[in-house]
Amino acid sequence: MVERQLTISRGTKRSIVKALLSVVLTLAVTSVVFLINNVNPILAFIYMFQGAFGDINLASETMIRMTPILIVSLGLAVSFKCKIWNIGAEGQLYIGAMLGTIAAIGIGGGPLSLLAALVVGAVGGLLWAAGPALMKVKLGINEVITTFLMNFVGIYLVQWMISYPFRSPDTYFPESSAIPSSSALAVILPGTRLHLGVALALALVPLVYFLLERTTFGYKVKVVGENPEAARYGGMEIGKVIFVSLVFSGLLAGLAGITEVMGIQFRVRGSLSPGYGYTGIVVALLGNNNPIGVALASLFLAAIMNGSSTLAWTMNIPMGIVDLMQGLLFIFVLASEPLVRFLERRGVLKL
Amino acid sequence: MAITPLSSPFFEKREVNSTPQNEEYAIFLKNISKTFPNGTVANQDVTLGILRGEVHAILGENGAGKTTLMRIISGILKPDKGEIFIDGKPVKIRDPRDASRLGIGMVHQHFTLIPEFTVRENIALVLATSPWLDLKKVDEKIAAVSKDMGLEIDPESKIESLPVGKRQLVEILRLLCQDVRILMLDEPTSVLTPIEVDSFFKMIMNLKSSGKTVVLITHKMKEALQISDRITVLRGGRVIRTIPTSDANEALLASLVVEGMLPAPTLVRGTPGDIILKVESLKVKDDRGRIAVDGLNLTVRSGEIVGIAGVAGNGQKELVEAITGLRKVESGAVKLLSQDITNKPTRFIIEKGISYIPEDRMHRGVVLTMGVHENLALKCIEKPPMSKSKIIDRRSMVKNAESLISKFSIKASDPCTSVENLSGGNIQKLIVARELSNGGLVLIAEQPTAGLDIKASEAVHQKLVELRSMGVGILLVSSDLDEIMKLSDRICVIFGGKIVGEFMPENLDVERLSRLMLGAE
Amino acid sequence: MIEFLALTGLAAATLRVAAPLLLASLGETIAERGGMLNLGLQGAMLVGAFSGFMGAYFAGSLWIGLISAIIGGILTTLLFGILVINLDLDQVVSGLAINLLASGLTLYFTRVLFTGGVSPYLGELFGPMPIPFLCNMPVLGEVLFTQTGFVYLGLVSVPLIYVLLTKTSFGLRLRSIGEDPVIASYLGINVVKMRYAALLAEGILAGLAGGLLTISMFNTFDPRIVAARGFVAVSIVILGRWNPWGALAGSLLFGFTEALSLRIGIIFPELSGASINQLFALLPYLVALVALVVGGRGVRGPASLGKRIGRER
Repeated sequence: MVERQLTISRGTKRSIVKALLSVVLTLAVTSVVFLINNVNPILAFIYMFQGAFGDINLASETMIRMTPILIVSLGLAVSFKCKIWNIGAEGQLYIGAMLGTIAAIGIGGGPLSLLAALVVGAVGGLLWAAGPALMKVKLGINEVITTFLMNFVGIYLVQWMISYPFRSPDTYFPESSAIPSSSALAVILPGTRLHLGVALALALVPLVYFLLERTTFGYKVKVVGENPEAARYGGMEIGKVIFVSLVFSGLLAGLAGITEVMGIQFRVRGSLSPGYGYTGIVVALLGNNNPIGVALASLFLAAIMNGSSTLAWTMNIPMGIVDLMQGLLFIFVLASEPLVRFLERRGVLKL
Repeated sequence: MAITPLSSPFFEKREVNSTPQNEEYAIFLKNISKTFPNGTVANQDVTLGILRGEVHAILGENGAGKTTLMRIISGILKPDKGEIFIDGKPVKIRDPRDASRLGIGMVHQHFTLIPEFTVRENIALVLATSPWLDLKKVDEKIAAVSKDMGLEIDPESKIESLPVGKRQLVEILRLLCQDVRILMLDEPTSVLTPIEVDSFFKMIMNLKSSGKTVVLITHKMKEALQISDRITVLRGGRVIRTIPTSDANEALLASLVVEGMLPAPTLVRGTPGDIILKVESLKVKDDRGRIAVDGLNLTVRSGEIVGIAGVAGNGQKELVEAITGLRKVESGAVKLLSQDITNKPTRFIIEKGISYIPEDRMHRGVVLTMGVHENLALKCIEKPPMSKSKIIDRRSMVKNAESLISKFSIKASDPCTSVENLSGGNIQKLIVARELSNGGLVLIAEQPTAGLDIKASEAVHQKLVELRSMGVGILLVSSDLDEIMKLSDRICVIFGGKIVGEFMPENLDVERLSRLMLGAE
Repeated sequence: MIEFLALTGLAAATLRVAAPLLLASLGETIAERGGMLNLGLQGAMLVGAFSGFMGAYFAGSLWIGLISAIIGGILTTLLFGILVINLDLDQVVSGLAINLLASGLTLYFTRVLFTGGVSPYLGELFGPMPIPFLCNMPVLGEVLFTQTGFVYLGLVSVPLIYVLLTKTSFGLRLRSIGEDPVIASYLGINVVKMRYAALLAEGILAGLAGGLLTISMFNTFDPRIVAARGFVAVSIVILGRWNPWGALAGSLLFGFTEALSLRIGIIFPELSGASINQLFALLPYLVALVALVVGGRGVRGPASLGKRIGRER
């Protein structure tokens, strides 16, 4: 009988322990940083928690913050599972946001424009990832370098577009015109800014899970990621799998960008993303490329981001603490594998 | 083949006081034990003395712990327990440099030459002591040692351009340039043809007469009997016995090497039918863009095992990869029945019925981090019952795994366990199970028993024969001549990317086979 | 008609902006010849720029800035070493982690140290050091011999590193590790020590490359100061075929594009205008991508580049 087993497999247990360990270590080092700044770390974390979940408004702001992170990192989880390191999600996000916004303005409102803008935004991200994907598959050029360089091309391009051809005539700062109000994503919790994008992001979690665990594409992604030689031997078209997984991550990055515009910002600004494309990398790894893990990890990172803005005005801890914690988290996620192995060998951990 | 012992009678009468401190022992191992992190016990309480100036054969089947033992002596592995004495003095060998300082050198089965470097650079690498590279001094040393040993090697040639047999000589040359006194050779004849083996053995006798101590690791009894002064048999990581070669014979050694009696293999020849696989004037390039398969012609009939004999690196790998669609065919054709499968995608070729047991089973044959059930579905994941309209049916995958596990007696704790938890022999069984269950017309078996112990090898052989009797055509590529001779209905010799000769097993001429393998005809 | 003086100025600017790329790509060449693909180069440059600025600012001495830039670079590449050499983690991911940590650290501490997160200007900079007599030569004097010490250092390092890699025992050993670390260790070469030595060299060069941005070029620290220079330097190593002379050629190419994109209005007045100028900011990155497409196909680097060594089995 192969009924669904309720017991958690050893591998899953291990990755949960690894994720918790890296979170604990990150909080520990952050505490030291707080102490250096003469701030009581326990108090600081309490403030952070309150800043993130203190009331319904704050909690919904955290969910809003989580939305683009979650969408981006679900895409990255697929490409990372294929061992394709897309670090160009930031640029893909901006291009998606820009093209989607142009579409929304161009069509000019109505339910159709809403859908069209989402599709155009997602496809924009996909196209921006397609270049590096082709270079990887056809020429064997390392995608890490190309996707990163594409960030700069993309962000400078968007910067130029919102400064000149698509600049809003009525504002002083370089930013695009606003999308028609009928293209905005509806608010789903009255009294807050919580918009339909949050539901969209959450709906993607089971979809991506299904894609990875229950489809032949997901199977191929795993084989190509773990052992490309065996994939070739098994008759898989590796290039195709790599291409699709990379542009899929671009697709979701673009979707994240346009969702952010249509749900919260309503226009493209230079400050549209405070680095969601990079945060997504950490989130995907912390969540072990598992959609459920990724969902929890993006909530965690969103809470840190929103919580730290409370710290900025209560305890004079600069907002940069978020970036610092992200960097630490990344290092500890990496180091947690050898650390867990070491603890297992010492008999401290039994998994 | 007649066995002519080359060993001198000197050792037969030599009485030795077997204490580790005796200076007549170049190496003395005392109670050496080694267990790997994955739980494999490689050596257990090994106590063994190698006399100065002797040729000592370490005999045992694959997995008996021979290589591990030698790696401990050469400082690559650390023993869990035990002592090593060199010239009667206890020593600690922490890394290969320690071994080198003590005058110990090893030729590994996988050569330790940098293929992209020249012979000179490879040798300079181990001789270099001054910060500046003094290539002139290196050249002088190479010339002096080559002259002593009668070797002819151009120091300018790149390793990757040399044939395997020659590379082995470079390995030995390098050790001699380092003034090594004790040479350990791990299965050195596995890359040589029978003729080359003869001249290689003469060189070993040369080494011996110039005062070197030689440790020869082998799984071939004939070799041990032919060249050594004394033989130590290892089995399951333990020393079974050390005997003077003059007291040994094949029957005795066989009983020591293998525990219990093996059922005598009763192999019947196949009854070949029609041609199912046809390779016509095939040309294929290797990874570096050179022609590796050069106008090769070959046929395989149904119910026939065709053995490809040849020295490694003569186009075997490229031939197999071209047939299976893993490598581009430059010109020529591969036909399966009447269908042209030249340069077709691998998936198409798999579906048309070509199964393939790859040599590099860990890197090509399985995905170590994935489950047994997932690995068994590697080649049929796109087809029902494994998946329907791209949705995977996990239940069918597990069911398939359960049935193959019991049919091929694969030892796995459960059908979903990661393949990395399986032993090497069981991984090979898994691959064989997958390839045989595909119901193909042709099976390509590349070194199917390399690294397996005798029982596991025998099981694989039985499966191949069983498959032949069901009408499958089998292309057996192996560097183990014994295996080729035992199984093949027809033997094709490959050299320089061509089939240069063909034998029926009943009129096999080993001399001529060797010459063909060396391209001497 | 293009002004001749503008061309001389462009040539001099090419060398000036090529210097950080040259130093960084030389460092990366050494690391990659030893089999380490260090994408954390970007992070090492950033830390170098940060520590160089802080050293110079708080100690009031450019030389202390220089030394702390080097130390910053070394510490960053050594952290990379711990991840990939001692813990045997994936090189690509470790490099990314280093970059993110470097940007987090520098961003946070810039904001802690300076209100508003904007660093002040330094009093003085490492300016051009004209070489006596040579600087008076026509054209060449301005282009080649009226540069900063960093430019001279970069240019002199090219032949030195070439000799180090090809004519010394150290270079031969390092290259053997780059081809196959397992074989190298069988031959008694201390892979760990050699790889750390290579990372030490890379750290010095990357620290200098980052430091020169703050204490010689821009006069201030901004967490985005490195832009994508680290990744451009990694591309240069590929385009330069892991050879110091190739790194020089590649750095000059990118230096030229960057100098051109900054001066496009001066050289081609008819093209000037704020709108176009801003678009030209993306030119160097686009050129890097195009160069990779044209020159990066089918090249074979050191065989073990980017691979994990794996544990004893």
